[in-house]
Amino acid sequence: MFQYITLRVLKGALTFLAAITVTFLIVRLMPGDPTTAFISDSMTPKDVESLNALLGLDRSLLEQYLLFLRNLANFELGQSFFYKEAVSAIIAPKLGWTLLLIGTALFITLLIGIPLGVYTARHKGKWLDQTVSTLIVLGISIFIPLLAFALVWVFSLELGLTPVGGAVTPGIEGSERILSIMRHMILPTMTLVIVNLAQIVLFTRSSMLDVLKEDYIRTARAKGVNDRGVTWGHALRNAMIPTVTITGLMLGKMVAGAVLTETVFSWPGLGSMIYEAVQKQDFPLLQGAFIVLAFSVILMTLVTDLVVAWLDPRIKLHEGAAQ
Amino acid sequence: MREKSFAQSFSKHTLGMIGLVGIIVVVLVGVFGPMFVKFPSGYDEAMPLAAPSAKYWLGTDSLGLNLFNQIVWGARTSLFISLTAVAVASGIGVPLGLVAGYFKGRIGALIDSVIEIAMTIPTLPLMILISAISGPSVTTVAIVIGVFSWPTLARIVRNSTLKLAGLPYIEAAVILGIPRRTIMFKHILLNAAGPALVDLTIIMATAVLTEAGLSYLGLGDPNSWSWGGILQTAFRGGHHFHAWWLIVCPSLAIMFFVVSFNLLGLGINETLNPKRE
Repeated sequence: MFQYITLRVLKGALTFLAAITVTFLIVRLMPGDPTTAFISDSMTPKDVESLNALLGLDRSLLEQYLLFLRNLANFELGQSFFYKEAVSAIIAPKLGWTLLLIGTALFITLLIGIPLGVYTARHKGKWLDQTVSTLIVLGISIFIPLLAFALVWVFSLELGLTPVGGAVTPGIEGSERILSIMRHMILPTMTLVIVNLAQIVLFTRSSMLDVLKEDYIRTARAKGVNDRGVTWGHALRNAMIPTVTITGLMLGKMVAGAVLTETVFSWPGLGSMIYEAVQKQDFPLLQGAFIVLAFSVILMTLVTDLVVAWLDPRIKLHEGAAQ
Repeated sequence: MREKSFAQSFSKHTLGMIGLVGIIVVVLVGVFGPMFVKFPSGYDEAMPLAAPSAKYWLGTDSLGLNLFNQIVWGARTSLFISLTAVAVASGIGVPLGLVAGYFKGRIGALIDSVIEIAMTIPTLPLMILISAISGPSVTTVAIVIGVFSWPTLARIVRNSTLKLAGLPYIEAAVILGIPRRTIMFKHILLNAAGPALVDLTIIMATAVLTEAGLSYLGLGDPNSWSWGGILQTAFRGGHHFHAWWLIVCPSLAIMFFVVSFNLLGLGINETLNPKRE
Protein backbone atom coordinates (compact mmCIF):
# COMPACT_ATOMS: atom_id res chain seq x y z
CA MET A 1 0.00 0.00 0.00
CA PHE A 2 2.73 2.40 1.04
CA GLN A 3 4.73 1.53 -2.05
CA TYR A 4 1.68 2.00 -4.26
CA ILE A 5 1.03 5.44 -2.82
CA THR A 6 4.67 6.49 -3.19
CA LEU A 7 4.64 5.36 -6.81
CA ARG A 8 1.44 7.27 -7.52
CA VAL A 9 2.74 10.44 -5.90
CA LEU A 10 5.94 10.18 -7.93
CA LYS A 11 3.92 9.67 -11.09
CA GLY A 12 1.83 12.73 -10.28
CA ALA A 13 4.96 14.81 -9.71
CA LEU A 14 6.42 13.57 -12.99
CA THR A 15 3.19 14.42 -14.82
CA PHE A 16 3.22 17.93 -13.40
CA LEU A 17 6.87 18.35 -14.39
CA ALA A 18 5.99 17.20 -17.91
CA ALA A 19 3.08 19.64 -18.07
CA ILE A 20 5.11 22.66 -17.01
CA THR A 21 8.06 21.69 -19.21
CA VAL A 22 5.75 21.50 -22.21
CA THR A 23 4.41 24.96 -21.36
CA PHE A 24 7.90 26.33 -20.97
CA LEU A 25 9.01 24.94 -24.32
CA ILE A 26 5.84 25.94 -26.19
CA VAL A 27 6.07 29.53 -25.10
CA ARG A 28 9.77 29.85 -25.91
CA LEU A 29 10.13 27.72 -29.01
CA MET A 30 7.08 29.03 -30.86
CA PRO A 31 7.91 30.72 -34.15
CA GLY A 32 8.40 34.42 -33.64
CA ASP A 33 9.84 36.41 -30.78
CA PRO A 34 9.31 34.55 -27.49
CA THR A 35 9.36 37.81 -25.56
CA THR A 36 5.99 38.77 -27.10
CA ALA A 37 4.44 36.20 -24.81
CA PHE A 38 5.65 38.08 -21.74
CA ILE A 39 6.22 41.69 -22.72
CA SER A 40 3.35 43.81 -23.97
CA ASP A 41 3.58 47.21 -25.63
CA SER A 42 1.95 48.89 -22.68
CA MET A 43 4.81 48.04 -20.29
CA THR A 44 7.28 50.69 -19.27
CA PRO A 45 11.03 50.05 -19.87
CA LYS A 46 11.35 49.56 -16.15
CA ASP A 47 8.67 46.89 -16.13
CA VAL A 48 10.44 45.13 -18.99
CA GLU A 49 13.73 45.27 -17.14
CA SER A 50 12.34 43.74 -13.96
CA LEU A 51 10.56 41.07 -15.99
CA ASN A 52 13.82 40.24 -17.74
CA ALA A 53 15.48 39.84 -14.39
CA LEU A 54 12.68 37.55 -13.26
CA LEU A 55 12.49 35.33 -16.34
CA GLY A 56 16.05 35.70 -17.67
CA LEU A 57 14.81 36.08 -21.23
CA ASP A 58 18.29 37.15 -22.35
CA ARG A 59 19.99 34.05 -20.93
CA SER A 60 20.39 30.50 -22.20
CA LEU A 61 17.40 28.18 -22.43
CA LEU A 62 18.65 25.99 -19.60
CA GLU A 63 19.13 28.95 -17.26
CA GLN A 64 15.67 30.19 -18.22
CA TYR A 65 14.25 26.76 -17.39
CA LEU A 66 15.87 26.68 -13.96
CA LEU A 67 14.59 30.20 -13.27
CA PHE A 68 11.13 29.13 -14.45
CA LEU A 69 11.11 26.20 -12.01
CA ARG A 70 12.35 28.39 -9.15
CA ASN A 71 9.67 30.99 -9.88
CA LEU A 72 6.99 28.31 -9.91
CA ALA A 73 8.17 27.02 -6.55
CA ASN A 74 7.59 30.56 -5.25
CA PHE A 75 4.13 30.73 -6.90
CA GLU A 76 5.54 33.39 -9.21
CA LEU A 77 3.64 33.08 -12.51
CA GLY A 78 4.53 36.42 -14.07
CA GLN A 79 2.45 39.53 -14.55
CA SER A 80 -0.85 39.89 -16.36
CA PHE A 81 -0.66 42.21 -19.38
CA PHE A 82 -4.10 43.60 -18.85
CA TYR A 83 -4.52 43.80 -15.10
CA LYS A 84 -0.88 44.73 -14.40
CA GLU A 85 -1.00 42.47 -11.37
CA ALA A 86 0.68 39.22 -10.41
CA VAL A 87 -0.97 36.31 -12.24
CA SER A 88 -1.11 34.24 -9.05
CA ALA A 89 -3.09 36.96 -7.26
CA ILE A 90 -5.65 37.09 -10.07
CA ILE A 91 -5.99 33.33 -10.38
CA ALA A 92 -6.24 32.39 -6.69
CA PRO A 93 -9.82 33.62 -6.01
CA LYS A 94 -11.08 32.30 -9.39
CA LEU A 95 -9.70 28.81 -8.84
CA GLY A 96 -12.03 28.33 -5.88
CA TRP A 97 -15.11 29.06 -8.00
CA THR A 98 -14.00 26.65 -10.72
CA LEU A 99 -13.20 23.86 -8.26
CA LEU A 100 -16.56 24.39 -6.54
CA LEU A 101 -18.33 23.96 -9.87
CA ILE A 102 -16.31 20.92 -11.00
CA GLY A 103 -16.47 19.29 -7.57
CA THR A 104 -20.24 19.65 -7.27
CA ALA A 105 -20.81 18.45 -10.82
CA LEU A 106 -18.59 15.43 -10.28
CA PHE A 107 -20.33 14.55 -7.03
CA ILE A 108 -23.79 14.73 -8.57
CA THR A 109 -22.66 12.85 -11.69
CA LEU A 110 -21.44 9.94 -9.54
CA LEU A 111 -24.49 10.15 -7.28
CA ILE A 112 -26.83 9.67 -10.24
CA GLY A 113 -24.56 7.73 -12.58
CA ILE A 114 -23.54 4.83 -10.36
CA PRO A 115 -27.04 3.73 -9.28
CA LEU A 116 -28.21 4.18 -12.87
CA GLY A 117 -25.32 2.03 -14.13
CA VAL A 118 -26.15 -0.67 -11.57
CA TYR A 119 -29.82 -0.53 -12.49
CA THR A 120 -29.17 -0.86 -16.23
CA ALA A 121 -26.78 -3.75 -15.55
CA ARG A 122 -29.44 -5.64 -13.61
CA HIS A 123 -32.19 -5.06 -16.11
CA LYS A 124 -30.38 -5.71 -19.35
CA GLY A 125 -32.19 -6.36 -22.56
CA LYS A 126 -32.07 -5.33 -26.16
CA TRP A 127 -34.24 -2.27 -25.68
CA LEU A 128 -32.26 -0.98 -22.71
CA ASP A 129 -28.94 -1.78 -24.43
CA GLN A 130 -29.94 0.31 -27.43
CA THR A 131 -31.15 3.19 -25.27
CA VAL A 132 -27.96 3.24 -23.23
CA SER A 133 -25.65 3.17 -26.25
CA THR A 134 -27.67 5.87 -28.02
CA LEU A 135 -27.60 8.09 -24.94
CA ILE A 136 -23.83 7.57 -24.63
CA VAL A 137 -23.32 8.72 -28.22
CA LEU A 138 -25.50 11.77 -27.62
CA GLY A 139 -23.66 12.48 -24.36
CA ILE A 140 -20.23 12.58 -25.97
CA SER A 141 -21.57 14.55 -28.93
CA ILE A 142 -23.04 17.48 -27.02
CA PHE A 143 -21.60 20.88 -27.84
CA ILE A 144 -21.49 22.47 -24.41
CA PRO A 145 -22.31 26.09 -25.34
CA LEU A 146 -25.46 24.89 -27.13
CA LEU A 147 -26.61 22.85 -24.14
CA ALA A 148 -25.86 25.77 -21.84
CA PHE A 149 -27.78 28.21 -24.02
CA ALA A 150 -30.70 25.80 -24.21
CA LEU A 151 -30.80 25.47 -20.42
CA VAL A 152 -30.67 29.26 -19.95
CA TRP A 153 -33.39 29.69 -22.51
CA VAL A 154 -35.74 27.17 -20.90
CA PHE A 155 -35.09 27.61 -17.18
CA SER A 156 -34.14 31.27 -16.95
CA LEU A 157 -35.85 33.08 -19.78
CA GLU A 158 -39.02 31.02 -20.27
CA LEU A 159 -39.68 29.63 -16.81
CA GLY A 160 -37.82 32.28 -14.78
CA LEU A 161 -36.68 29.66 -12.27
CA THR A 162 -32.93 30.26 -12.26
CA PRO A 163 -30.60 33.24 -12.65
CA VAL A 164 -29.21 33.86 -16.15
CA GLY A 165 -25.60 34.08 -15.05
CA GLY A 166 -23.06 35.06 -12.41
CA ALA A 167 -22.38 33.24 -9.18
CA VAL A 168 -24.07 35.28 -6.48
CA THR A 169 -26.43 38.21 -6.16
CA PRO A 170 -24.30 41.09 -4.89
CA GLY A 171 -24.96 42.71 -1.54
CA ILE A 172 -26.27 39.79 0.49
CA GLU A 173 -24.54 38.05 3.36
CA GLY A 174 -24.67 34.92 5.45
CA SER A 175 -26.98 32.01 4.67
CA GLU A 176 -28.79 34.09 2.05
CA ARG A 177 -25.50 34.30 0.18
CA ILE A 178 -25.00 30.54 0.23
CA LEU A 179 -28.55 30.01 -1.03
CA SER A 180 -27.96 32.51 -3.79
CA ILE A 181 -24.75 30.73 -4.86
CA MET A 182 -26.62 27.44 -4.91
CA ARG A 183 -29.31 28.92 -7.11
CA HIS A 184 -26.70 30.29 -9.49
CA MET A 185 -24.95 26.94 -9.59
CA ILE A 186 -27.95 24.93 -10.74
CA LEU A 187 -27.63 25.47 -14.49
CA PRO A 188 -23.81 25.31 -14.86
CA THR A 189 -23.76 22.14 -12.74
CA MET A 190 -26.61 20.64 -14.74
CA THR A 191 -24.66 21.30 -17.96
CA LEU A 192 -21.58 19.48 -16.72
CA VAL A 193 -23.59 16.61 -15.23
CA ILE A 194 -25.50 15.99 -18.48
CA VAL A 195 -22.27 15.92 -20.49
CA ASN A 196 -20.44 13.50 -18.19
CA LEU A 197 -23.25 11.30 -16.90
CA ALA A 198 -23.36 8.91 -19.87
CA GLN A 199 -19.77 7.81 -19.45
CA ILE A 200 -20.15 7.01 -15.76
CA VAL A 201 -23.31 5.00 -16.45
CA LEU A 202 -21.53 3.11 -19.23
CA PHE A 203 -18.52 2.17 -17.14
CA THR A 204 -20.48 1.22 -14.04
CA ARG A 205 -22.82 -0.86 -16.16
CA SER A 206 -20.17 -2.76 -18.09
CA SER A 207 -17.96 -3.49 -15.10
CA MET A 208 -21.04 -4.50 -13.09
CA LEU A 209 -21.97 -6.96 -15.85
CA ASP A 210 -18.43 -8.39 -15.69
CA VAL A 211 -18.39 -8.67 -11.91
CA LEU A 212 -21.81 -10.31 -11.70
CA LYS A 213 -20.38 -13.23 -13.69
CA GLU A 214 -17.61 -13.90 -11.14
CA ASP A 215 -17.44 -17.04 -9.05
CA TYR A 216 -17.66 -15.23 -5.72
CA ILE A 217 -20.99 -13.75 -6.73
CA ARG A 218 -22.30 -17.25 -7.41
CA THR A 219 -20.94 -18.33 -4.04
CA ALA A 220 -22.73 -15.48 -2.32
CA ARG A 221 -25.97 -16.39 -4.10
CA ALA A 222 -25.50 -20.05 -3.14
CA LYS A 223 -25.06 -19.00 0.47
CA GLY A 224 -28.49 -17.45 0.24
CA VAL A 225 -27.63 -13.76 0.03
CA ASN A 226 -30.55 -12.07 -1.66
CA ASP A 227 -30.34 -10.24 -4.95
CA ARG A 228 -30.11 -6.78 -3.43
CA GLY A 229 -27.36 -7.85 -1.04
CA VAL A 230 -25.34 -9.40 -3.86
CA THR A 231 -25.64 -6.32 -6.05
CA TRP A 232 -24.99 -3.58 -3.54
CA GLY A 233 -22.92 -5.47 -0.99
CA HIS A 234 -20.72 -7.83 -2.95
CA ALA A 235 -20.57 -6.72 -6.57
CA LEU A 236 -20.63 -2.94 -6.42
CA ARG A 237 -17.39 -2.52 -4.53
CA ASN A 238 -15.39 -4.34 -7.19
CA ALA A 239 -17.41 -2.91 -10.04
CA MET A 240 -16.50 0.56 -8.78
CA ILE A 241 -12.81 0.16 -9.59
CA PRO A 242 -13.06 0.85 -13.35
CA THR A 243 -15.60 3.61 -12.66
CA VAL A 244 -13.26 5.42 -10.29
CA THR A 245 -10.38 4.98 -12.73
CA ILE A 246 -12.39 6.47 -15.58
CA THR A 247 -13.45 9.32 -13.28
CA GLY A 248 -9.78 10.18 -12.91
CA LEU A 249 -9.34 10.21 -16.67
CA MET A 250 -12.49 12.32 -17.09
CA LEU A 251 -11.18 15.17 -14.95
CA GLY A 252 -9.25 16.74 -17.82
CA LYS A 253 -12.38 16.68 -19.96
CA MET A 254 -14.40 18.15 -17.08
CA VAL A 255 -12.01 21.07 -16.89
CA ALA A 256 -12.50 21.67 -20.61
CA GLY A 257 -16.24 21.47 -20.11
CA ALA A 258 -16.08 23.87 -17.18
CA VAL A 259 -14.14 26.43 -19.24
CA LEU A 260 -16.88 26.49 -21.90
CA THR A 261 -19.72 26.31 -19.38
CA GLU A 262 -18.40 29.19 -17.29
CA THR A 263 -18.23 31.53 -20.28
CA VAL A 264 -21.91 31.02 -21.08
CA PHE A 265 -23.03 31.55 -17.47
CA SER A 266 -20.45 34.26 -16.61
CA TRP A 267 -19.42 32.04 -13.72
CA PRO A 268 -16.51 33.97 -12.16
CA GLY A 269 -13.99 31.12 -12.33
CA LEU A 270 -10.93 30.35 -14.41
CA GLY A 271 -12.99 29.57 -17.51
CA SER A 272 -14.45 33.05 -17.76
CA MET A 273 -11.01 34.43 -16.99
CA ILE A 274 -9.50 32.38 -19.83
CA TYR A 275 -12.19 33.71 -22.17
CA GLU A 276 -11.32 37.30 -21.28
CA ALA A 277 -7.59 36.60 -21.43
CA VAL A 278 -8.00 35.26 -24.97
CA GLN A 279 -9.84 38.41 -26.07
CA LYS A 280 -7.13 40.57 -24.48
CA GLN A 281 -4.19 38.43 -25.67
CA ASP A 282 -3.07 38.14 -22.07
CA PHE A 283 -0.57 35.27 -22.48
CA PRO A 284 0.87 35.20 -18.94
CA LEU A 285 -2.65 34.80 -17.56
CA LEU A 286 -3.36 31.94 -19.99
CA GLN A 287 -0.13 30.21 -19.06
CA GLY A 288 -0.87 30.61 -15.35
CA ALA A 289 -4.39 29.25 -15.83
CA PHE A 290 -3.06 26.14 -17.56
CA ILE A 291 -0.43 25.48 -14.89
CA VAL A 292 -2.95 25.84 -12.06
CA LEU A 293 -5.56 23.69 -13.81
CA ALA A 294 -2.99 21.02 -14.63
CA PHE A 295 -1.92 20.96 -11.00
CA SER A 296 -5.51 20.64 -9.78
CA VAL A 297 -6.32 17.85 -12.21
CA ILE A 298 -3.17 15.91 -11.30
CA LEU A 299 -3.96 16.27 -7.62
CA MET A 300 -7.53 15.07 -8.11
CA THR A 301 -6.28 12.15 -10.23
CA LEU A 302 -4.04 11.21 -7.34
CA VAL A 303 -7.08 11.18 -5.07
CA THR A 304 -8.93 8.83 -7.44
CA ASP A 305 -5.84 6.57 -7.44
CA LEU A 306 -5.99 6.43 -3.66
CA VAL A 307 -9.70 5.58 -3.79
CA VAL A 308 -8.90 2.75 -6.20
CA ALA A 309 -6.25 1.49 -3.78
CA TRP A 310 -8.80 1.57 -0.97
CA LEU A 311 -11.39 -0.29 -3.05
CA ASP A 312 -9.04 -2.85 -4.53
CA PRO A 313 -8.00 -5.50 -2.01
CA ARG A 314 -5.28 -6.69 -4.38
CA ILE A 315 -3.48 -3.39 -3.81
CA LYS A 316 -4.32 -3.16 -0.11
CA LEU A 317 -3.16 -6.67 0.73
CA HIS A 318 0.02 -6.62 -1.32
CA GLU A 319 1.89 -4.69 1.29
CA GLY A 320 5.51 -4.49 0.27
CA ALA A 321 4.89 -6.52 -2.86
CA ALA A 322 5.93 -4.92 -6.10
CA GLN A 323 3.12 -3.46 -8.15
CA MET B 1 -14.33 -12.81 -47.60
CA ARG B 2 -14.03 -11.19 -44.22
CA GLU B 3 -14.41 -7.69 -45.67
CA LYS B 4 -17.69 -8.67 -47.25
CA SER B 5 -19.07 -10.23 -44.11
CA PHE B 6 -18.15 -7.12 -42.12
CA ALA B 7 -19.98 -4.88 -44.60
CA GLN B 8 -22.96 -7.17 -44.48
CA SER B 9 -23.26 -7.22 -40.73
CA PHE B 10 -22.52 -3.49 -40.50
CA SER B 11 -25.38 -2.75 -42.89
CA LYS B 12 -27.72 -4.39 -40.38
CA HIS B 13 -26.67 -1.96 -37.65
CA THR B 14 -29.25 0.79 -37.92
CA LEU B 15 -27.48 3.44 -35.87
CA GLY B 16 -24.18 2.79 -37.62
CA MET B 17 -25.85 3.16 -41.01
CA ILE B 18 -27.51 6.43 -39.91
CA GLY B 19 -24.03 7.66 -38.98
CA LEU B 20 -22.59 6.58 -42.32
CA VAL B 21 -25.33 8.39 -44.24
CA GLY B 22 -24.79 11.48 -42.10
CA ILE B 23 -21.07 11.45 -42.90
CA ILE B 24 -21.76 11.07 -46.63
CA VAL B 25 -24.03 14.14 -46.41
CA VAL B 26 -21.35 16.16 -44.59
CA VAL B 27 -18.67 15.11 -47.08
CA LEU B 28 -20.88 15.98 -50.06
CA VAL B 29 -21.74 19.38 -48.57
CA GLY B 30 -18.14 20.10 -47.56
CA VAL B 31 -16.54 19.00 -50.83
CA PHE B 32 -19.07 20.12 -53.44
CA GLY B 33 -21.13 22.73 -51.57
CA PRO B 34 -18.56 25.53 -51.85
CA MET B 35 -18.56 25.11 -55.66
CA PHE B 36 -22.17 26.22 -55.78
CA VAL B 37 -22.33 28.61 -52.89
CA LYS B 38 -20.59 31.99 -52.80
CA PHE B 39 -17.91 32.52 -50.11
CA PRO B 40 -19.53 34.95 -47.66
CA SER B 41 -17.31 37.99 -47.23
CA GLY B 42 -17.44 41.72 -46.57
CA TYR B 43 -20.86 43.32 -46.16
CA ASP B 44 -23.95 42.29 -47.99
CA GLU B 45 -26.82 44.44 -49.16
CA ALA B 46 -29.20 41.97 -47.55
CA MET B 47 -30.95 42.91 -44.35
CA PRO B 48 -28.76 42.26 -41.29
CA LEU B 49 -30.10 39.74 -38.77
CA ALA B 50 -32.94 38.65 -41.05
CA ALA B 51 -34.83 35.64 -39.74
CA PRO B 52 -34.89 32.49 -41.87
CA SER B 53 -37.20 32.92 -44.86
CA ALA B 54 -37.70 31.64 -48.40
CA LYS B 55 -35.03 34.05 -49.60
CA TYR B 56 -32.52 33.48 -46.83
CA TRP B 57 -32.99 29.86 -45.87
CA LEU B 58 -31.18 30.14 -42.59
CA GLY B 59 -31.38 33.90 -42.12
CA THR B 60 -28.52 36.40 -42.12
CA ASP B 61 -25.95 37.54 -39.57
CA SER B 62 -25.25 41.04 -38.25
CA LEU B 63 -23.37 41.94 -41.46
CA GLY B 64 -26.23 40.74 -43.64
CA LEU B 65 -24.27 37.69 -44.77
CA ASN B 66 -26.23 34.61 -45.67
CA LEU B 67 -25.99 32.07 -42.84
CA PHE B 68 -26.63 29.16 -45.21
CA ASN B 69 -23.45 29.98 -47.15
CA GLN B 70 -21.49 30.23 -43.89
CA ILE B 71 -22.69 26.82 -42.77
CA VAL B 72 -21.76 25.24 -46.12
CA TRP B 73 -18.25 26.74 -46.02
CA GLY B 74 -18.01 25.77 -42.37
CA ALA B 75 -18.58 22.13 -43.36
CA ARG B 76 -15.44 22.29 -45.48
CA THR B 77 -13.44 23.75 -42.56
CA SER B 78 -14.73 21.07 -40.22
CA LEU B 79 -13.79 18.30 -42.65
CA PHE B 80 -10.33 19.77 -43.13
CA ILE B 81 -9.81 20.09 -39.37
CA SER B 82 -10.97 16.59 -38.53
CA LEU B 83 -8.97 14.95 -41.34
CA THR B 84 -5.79 16.83 -40.46
CA ALA B 85 -6.23 16.11 -36.76
CA VAL B 86 -6.82 12.42 -37.36
CA ALA B 87 -3.77 12.22 -39.66
CA VAL B 88 -1.53 13.87 -37.09
CA ALA B 89 -2.93 11.77 -34.24
CA SER B 90 -2.40 8.54 -36.20
CA GLY B 91 1.10 9.59 -37.19
CA ILE B 92 2.03 9.82 -33.51
CA GLY B 93 -0.30 7.34 -31.83
CA VAL B 94 -0.07 4.31 -34.14
CA PRO B 95 3.74 3.88 -34.17
CA LEU B 96 3.97 4.58 -30.44
CA GLY B 97 1.21 2.09 -29.67
CA LEU B 98 2.78 -0.57 -31.90
CA VAL B 99 6.21 -0.15 -30.33
CA ALA B 100 4.80 -0.07 -26.79
CA GLY B 101 2.83 -3.27 -27.37
CA TYR B 102 5.49 -5.14 -29.33
CA PHE B 103 8.52 -4.41 -27.17
CA LYS B 104 7.26 -5.28 -23.74
CA GLY B 105 10.41 -4.35 -21.82
CA ARG B 106 11.71 -0.94 -20.88
CA ILE B 107 10.72 0.85 -24.07
CA GLY B 108 7.17 -0.38 -23.65
CA ALA B 109 7.03 0.76 -20.04
CA LEU B 110 8.47 4.14 -20.98
CA ILE B 111 5.90 4.72 -23.72
CA ASP B 112 3.16 3.52 -21.36
CA SER B 113 4.11 6.20 -18.85
CA VAL B 114 4.24 8.84 -21.59
CA ILE B 115 0.73 7.82 -22.68
CA GLU B 116 -0.54 7.95 -19.11
CA ILE B 117 1.02 11.38 -18.51
CA ALA B 118 -0.43 12.73 -21.76
CA MET B 119 -3.87 11.42 -20.80
CA THR B 120 -3.81 13.12 -17.40
CA ILE B 121 -2.86 16.64 -18.47
CA PRO B 122 -5.93 18.81 -19.19
CA THR B 123 -5.46 19.61 -22.86
CA LEU B 124 -8.01 22.35 -23.59
CA PRO B 125 -6.27 25.06 -21.52
CA LEU B 126 -2.98 24.04 -23.16
CA MET B 127 -4.48 24.20 -26.64
CA ILE B 128 -5.90 27.62 -25.79
CA LEU B 129 -2.45 28.84 -24.77
CA ILE B 130 -0.80 27.50 -27.93
CA SER B 131 -3.46 28.83 -30.29
CA ALA B 132 -3.42 32.22 -28.58
CA ILE B 133 0.35 32.55 -28.93
CA SER B 134 0.63 31.17 -32.45
CA GLY B 135 -2.19 33.34 -33.74
CA PRO B 136 -5.45 32.30 -35.41
CA SER B 137 -5.04 29.83 -38.27
CA VAL B 138 -7.15 26.83 -39.25
CA THR B 139 -4.08 24.72 -40.01
CA THR B 140 -2.44 25.46 -36.66
CA VAL B 141 -5.63 24.62 -34.78
CA ALA B 142 -6.00 21.37 -36.74
CA ILE B 143 -2.42 20.31 -36.02
CA VAL B 144 -2.66 21.29 -32.35
CA ILE B 145 -5.85 19.23 -31.95
CA GLY B 146 -4.14 16.28 -33.64
CA VAL B 147 -1.06 16.56 -31.46
CA PHE B 148 -3.26 16.25 -28.35
CA SER B 149 -5.52 13.46 -29.64
CA TRP B 150 -3.02 10.61 -29.95
CA PRO B 151 -2.91 9.14 -26.39
CA THR B 152 -6.19 7.18 -26.54
CA LEU B 153 -5.29 5.89 -30.00
CA ALA B 154 -1.81 4.85 -28.84
CA ARG B 155 -3.31 3.00 -25.88
CA ILE B 156 -5.83 1.15 -28.05
CA VAL B 157 -3.19 0.14 -30.62
CA ARG B 158 -0.90 -0.92 -27.78
CA ASN B 159 -3.52 -3.14 -26.18
CA SER B 160 -4.39 -4.85 -29.47
CA THR B 161 -0.70 -5.28 -30.32
CA LEU B 162 -0.05 -6.81 -26.93
CA LYS B 163 -2.77 -9.38 -27.58
CA LEU B 164 -1.74 -10.09 -31.18
CA ALA B 165 2.01 -10.28 -30.56
CA GLY B 166 1.56 -13.45 -28.52
CA LEU B 167 -0.41 -15.28 -31.21
CA PRO B 168 1.19 -18.19 -33.13
CA TYR B 169 1.00 -16.50 -36.54
CA ILE B 170 3.30 -13.72 -35.34
CA GLU B 171 5.70 -16.25 -33.87
CA ALA B 172 5.66 -18.00 -37.23
CA ALA B 173 6.43 -14.73 -39.00
CA VAL B 174 9.36 -14.11 -36.65
CA ILE B 175 10.74 -17.58 -37.31
CA LEU B 176 10.36 -17.05 -41.06
CA GLY B 177 12.73 -14.13 -40.68
CA ILE B 178 10.26 -11.45 -41.78
CA PRO B 179 11.67 -8.03 -40.80
CA ARG B 180 10.30 -6.65 -37.56
CA ARG B 181 8.98 -3.52 -39.21
CA THR B 182 6.95 -5.57 -41.69
CA ILE B 183 5.55 -7.69 -38.89
CA MET B 184 4.52 -4.64 -36.88
CA PHE B 185 3.09 -2.47 -39.62
CA LYS B 186 1.58 -5.22 -41.76
CA HIS B 187 0.79 -8.34 -39.80
CA ILE B 188 -0.11 -6.69 -36.53
CA LEU B 189 -1.48 -3.32 -37.59
CA LEU B 190 -3.88 -4.78 -40.15
CA ASN B 191 -5.43 -6.97 -37.49
CA ALA B 192 -5.49 -4.20 -34.92
CA ALA B 193 -7.23 -1.90 -37.39
CA GLY B 194 -10.76 -2.50 -36.10
CA PRO B 195 -10.55 -1.01 -32.61
CA ALA B 196 -8.24 1.71 -33.94
CA LEU B 197 -10.82 2.62 -36.57
CA VAL B 198 -13.44 3.14 -33.86
CA ASP B 199 -11.13 5.54 -32.09
CA LEU B 200 -10.37 7.39 -35.36
CA THR B 201 -14.06 8.19 -35.77
CA ILE B 202 -14.17 9.43 -32.18
CA ILE B 203 -11.06 11.56 -32.78
CA MET B 204 -12.67 13.11 -35.86
CA ALA B 205 -15.84 13.89 -33.93
CA THR B 206 -13.94 15.30 -30.97
CA ALA B 207 -11.71 17.38 -33.24
CA VAL B 208 -14.74 19.21 -34.59
CA LEU B 209 -16.12 19.75 -31.07
CA THR B 210 -12.74 21.05 -29.91
CA GLU B 211 -12.35 23.35 -32.90
CA ALA B 212 -15.84 24.68 -32.28
CA GLY B 213 -14.93 25.23 -28.64
CA LEU B 214 -11.70 27.05 -29.51
CA SER B 215 -13.43 29.21 -32.13
CA TYR B 216 -16.21 29.90 -29.69
CA LEU B 217 -13.60 31.17 -27.22
CA GLY B 218 -12.32 33.52 -29.92
CA LEU B 219 -9.35 31.53 -31.20
CA GLY B 220 -10.78 30.79 -34.63
CA ASP B 221 -9.39 31.90 -37.97
CA PRO B 222 -11.18 35.11 -39.03
CA ASN B 223 -10.38 34.36 -42.68
CA SER B 224 -12.34 31.15 -42.92
CA TRP B 225 -15.82 30.17 -41.87
CA SER B 226 -16.24 27.72 -39.06
CA TRP B 227 -19.33 26.70 -37.15
CA GLY B 228 -17.78 27.63 -33.83
CA GLY B 229 -16.70 30.97 -35.29
CA ILE B 230 -20.28 31.83 -36.26
CA LEU B 231 -21.31 31.17 -32.65
CA GLN B 232 -18.49 33.31 -31.31
CA THR B 233 -19.46 36.24 -33.56
CA ALA B 234 -23.09 35.97 -32.49
CA PHE B 235 -22.15 35.67 -28.84
CA ARG B 236 -19.72 38.58 -28.89
CA GLY B 237 -22.20 40.75 -30.76
CA GLY B 238 -24.81 39.96 -28.10
CA HIS B 239 -27.19 38.43 -30.68
CA HIS B 240 -27.48 35.11 -28.94
CA PHE B 241 -30.93 35.59 -27.50
CA HIS B 242 -32.83 37.51 -30.16
CA ALA B 243 -31.25 36.00 -33.31
CA TRP B 244 -31.75 32.36 -32.33
CA TRP B 245 -30.85 31.06 -35.81
CA LEU B 246 -27.25 32.27 -35.35
CA ILE B 247 -26.95 29.90 -32.39
CA VAL B 248 -29.19 27.03 -33.39
CA CYS B 249 -28.01 26.49 -36.99
CA PRO B 250 -24.25 26.26 -36.42
CA SER B 251 -24.83 24.23 -33.25
CA LEU B 252 -27.04 21.77 -35.11
CA ALA B 253 -24.42 21.52 -37.85
CA ILE B 254 -21.78 20.71 -35.22
CA MET B 255 -24.01 18.15 -33.53
CA PHE B 256 -24.93 16.57 -36.88
CA PHE B 257 -21.28 16.09 -37.77
CA VAL B 258 -20.28 14.83 -34.33
CA VAL B 259 -23.24 12.49 -33.86
CA SER B 260 -22.72 11.01 -37.34
CA PHE B 261 -19.09 10.16 -36.66
CA ASN B 262 -19.81 8.82 -33.19
CA LEU B 263 -22.65 6.66 -34.52
CA LEU B 264 -20.34 5.27 -37.19
CA GLY B 265 -17.85 4.43 -34.45
CA LEU B 266 -20.59 2.76 -32.41
CA GLY B 267 -21.67 0.76 -35.46
CA ILE B 268 -18.14 -0.43 -36.24
CA ASN B 269 -17.51 -1.27 -32.60
CA GLU B 270 -20.68 -3.30 -32.15
CA THR B 271 -20.20 -5.07 -35.48
CA LEU B 272 -16.65 -6.06 -34.54
CA ASN B 273 -17.54 -7.04 -30.97
CA PRO B 274 -21.04 -8.43 -30.93
CA LYS B 275 -22.79 -7.89 -27.58
CA ARG B 276 -21.82 -10.29 -24.84
CA GLU B 277 -24.58 -12.52 -23.59
